[in-house]
Amino acid sequence: MDIAFTEEQEMLRTMVSDFLVKECPKSIVRELEEDEEKGYSPQIWKAMADLGWLGLIIPEEYGGMGMTFQELTIILEQMGANILPGPYFSTVVKGAMPILDAGSEEQKREFLPRIASGELIFTMALLEADGTYDASGIATKAAPQGDSFVINGTKLFVEMAHVADYLICVARTKDGASPEDGLTLFIVDVRSPGIHCEVIPTMGMDKLCEVRFENVAVPKKDVLGELDKGWPIIEQVIEKGGVAKAAESIGGMQTCLDMTVTYAKERVQYDRPIGAFQALQHIMADMWIATQTSKYLVYMVAWMESEGIPCAKEAAIAKAYVNEAYKWLTDRTVQLHGGIGTSRDHDVGLYYRRAKTADIAFGATDFHRELVADRMGLLR
Amino acid sequence: MDFKLTDEQVARRNEFFEVCGELEKKKPANFSGIESIYDSDEGWQYHLNCAKEFAKRGWIALGWPSEYGGQGSVMDRVFFAEARGYYDTPGVDIFGVAMLAPTLLGAGSEEMKREFLPKIAAAEIMFCELWSEPNAGSDLAALTTTALRDGDEYVLNGQKTWSTGAHRSDWAFALVRTDPHAETKHRGLTFLMFDMKTPGITVKPILYMDRGHLYNEVFFDDARVPVKYVVGEENKGWGVTQLLAGFERSSLDAIMMMRRQLEGLVEYCNETKVGGELLAKNPIIRNRIAELACQVEAARALAYRVADQQAKNEMGAIDASAVKVFAGDLSARLARLGADILGPYGQVRSSKWAPLEGFYEKQYQQYFILTVSMGTNEIQRNIIAWYGLGLPRMR
Repeated sequence: MDIAFTEEQEMLRTMVSDFLVKECPKSIVRELEEDEEKGYSPQIWKAMADLGWLGLIIPEEYGGMGMTFQELTIILEQMGANILPGPYFSTVVKGAMPILDAGSEEQKREFLPRIASGELIFTMALLEADGTYDASGIATKAAPQGDSFVINGTKLFVEMAHVADYLICVARTKDGASPEDGLTLFIVDVRSPGIHCEVIPTMGMDKLCEVRFENVAVPKKDVLGELDKGWPIIEQVIEKGGVAKAAESIGGMQTCLDMTVTYAKERVQYDRPIGAFQALQHIMADMWIATQTSKYLVYMVAWMESEGIPCAKEAAIAKAYVNEAYKWLTDRTVQLHGGIGTSRDHDVGLYYRRAKTADIAFGATDFHRELVADRMGLLR
Repeated sequence: MDFKLTDEQVARRNEFFEVCGELEKKKPANFSGIESIYDSDEGWQYHLNCAKEFAKRGWIALGWPSEYGGQGSVMDRVFFAEARGYYDTPGVDIFGVAMLAPTLLGAGSEEMKREFLPKIAAAEIMFCELWSEPNAGSDLAALTTTALRDGDEYVLNGQKTWSTGAHRSDWAFALVRTDPHAETKHRGLTFLMFDMKTPGITVKPILYMDRGHLYNEVFFDDARVPVKYVVGEENKGWGVTQLLAGFERSSLDAIMMMRRQLEGLVEYCNETKVGGELLAKNPIIRNRIAELACQVEAARALAYRVADQQAKNEMGAIDASAVKVFAGDLSARLARLGADILGPYGQVRSSKWAPLEGFYEKQYQQYFILTVSMGTNEIQRNIIAWYGLGLPRMR
């Protein structure tokens, strides 16, 4: 047991943080939020590819750095702390990871080196009109036709689809005995005829898209994993994606705590810094507790994922816990900043809005609590 | 970052769990929590039996230097605490082992270490802590019990309160005022040990709201105790009490106890039907149990971090306060959850009508022992705010 970052991990942490502070100040974050067209900076994207971050978890034989999920969460924590808008998360977590886990050798050779080099932006089209991460929510159909499958349906909240080169689409290829049965994943070229994409205006301004599939033909070779048996891959995406999202959130929590404490030491009312009032001190103490418990919970689960220790229950625990902690903590951050905290100009709102979008991503709190209840052995 | 235990550690941890699991089978009916240790003769005897069992194996002195009978490591002590928490096994004197021994190791004279540490390790002597007074609770340094020097003795006068187990303990360690004229209230205090059978010491019970006898008032009327049992220096007792801040207190025992309780609730819900439907199928109950499970796991993760820091001799005192506050509040939530799930049976004291041996009827009342004693949760939040976040103290 050594519950501290290794020297190499500390270096990575510092490097990512320094890079983001310099290259992506809040002025850029706001610019990218307002940018309807792209929503990300190709310069930053290129720089991150050059630093090897896009291929961080991709094995060296496919052009990556061959690091573990733990190192990925270190990068994501800093991205959450500094807020980096763009397709890093969708490309690495929703593209590279499922291809690594379920892709054929050919698919790995085709896509992973190009993801590592920054050439390809990936995303995943999973959610539909029901808005649920349950298998029952997937109605989009893919029917075989010659050497292809033809996809029809509408996907919602597809992150960065408007700039993606490829998306992994989850569709129903068979009416199975259960909703989990008969699902298949497809690697789809976004330029395929019949794909229509539109950005949905959202609280996080994080470019979640509606993607309509109208008779979109996808070659059979682009099926990811086994035909009709895609659900376990999606479960993995939800599990690891949830932990990855929680890793971003703990970064945001630390920033909000720091901002609040700094402000409480500077802001003077009744002739003293407001941080001298116990009513506020105890809230900040609770913010510290929430931040520390969230962090070490995420670190523990990220370690389990990296070691290949089964942790479906623990991953759901981490996502459910951090969802609530981040939302509560950002609420308190706004409250302790008073009027200024509510303004568009202040950074606090950037985090407050993202805490809600982070909660929704990969399943909100109640969804994960139900997974926890199930995995604790409560009979259904 | 590595949470992995070595094979040796896993084996050691399993051994602690096995022994505590065996001891659980001899537990008196309805025994749970600290109150059960001190409340009945039967409970106290179970505590002493467990203590002897642990002493025989050398487990009371885990992590102490070997010259005082110590063996094992700080992490062993952590695993041992987990096992005792999980099975709610007594046998480790909170005061003698968890508070006094580290204080003696840090500030006691060689003679005192040699006299008391082996006895503590052998479970031959049980202690109580006499700190709080009627007008000195969180503001401990406001205490007024005096110990005035008369030759080789101090003459004690005053009153202590909330003295857990004072009616059962052999010896006490106390914080007393040896210099009533000191410039500030923190000066002039002395950390002193003495025999509870000393003439002039009277112990009176303060019953807990559930009628349990855990707390006491202790009165001193010209009680004469030897000067030689001062820990550290005379008038410098405040500094001695602060040594405890750095000692292992990961709260993992309390956290593991809650883990076990959640397992018990899952079992209960899987077996119990209300309105023809298993409680386990009730979505609200599922959600609330899962919510608590998330919080228990979060507490456990940070507690391991605290334990790891302390094993490495890094302080981690602020995180230890964080875990204490969090685990205390969590035990309150768990008590409420359990009592809610049991419905009308949640109010039943141990009897034929009480599910789970009436545990939640007791726990609903007793969780304050965690949130109030050893520094209230409010004091712990002050510590986090002042020393962790650097926020200004209001004078």
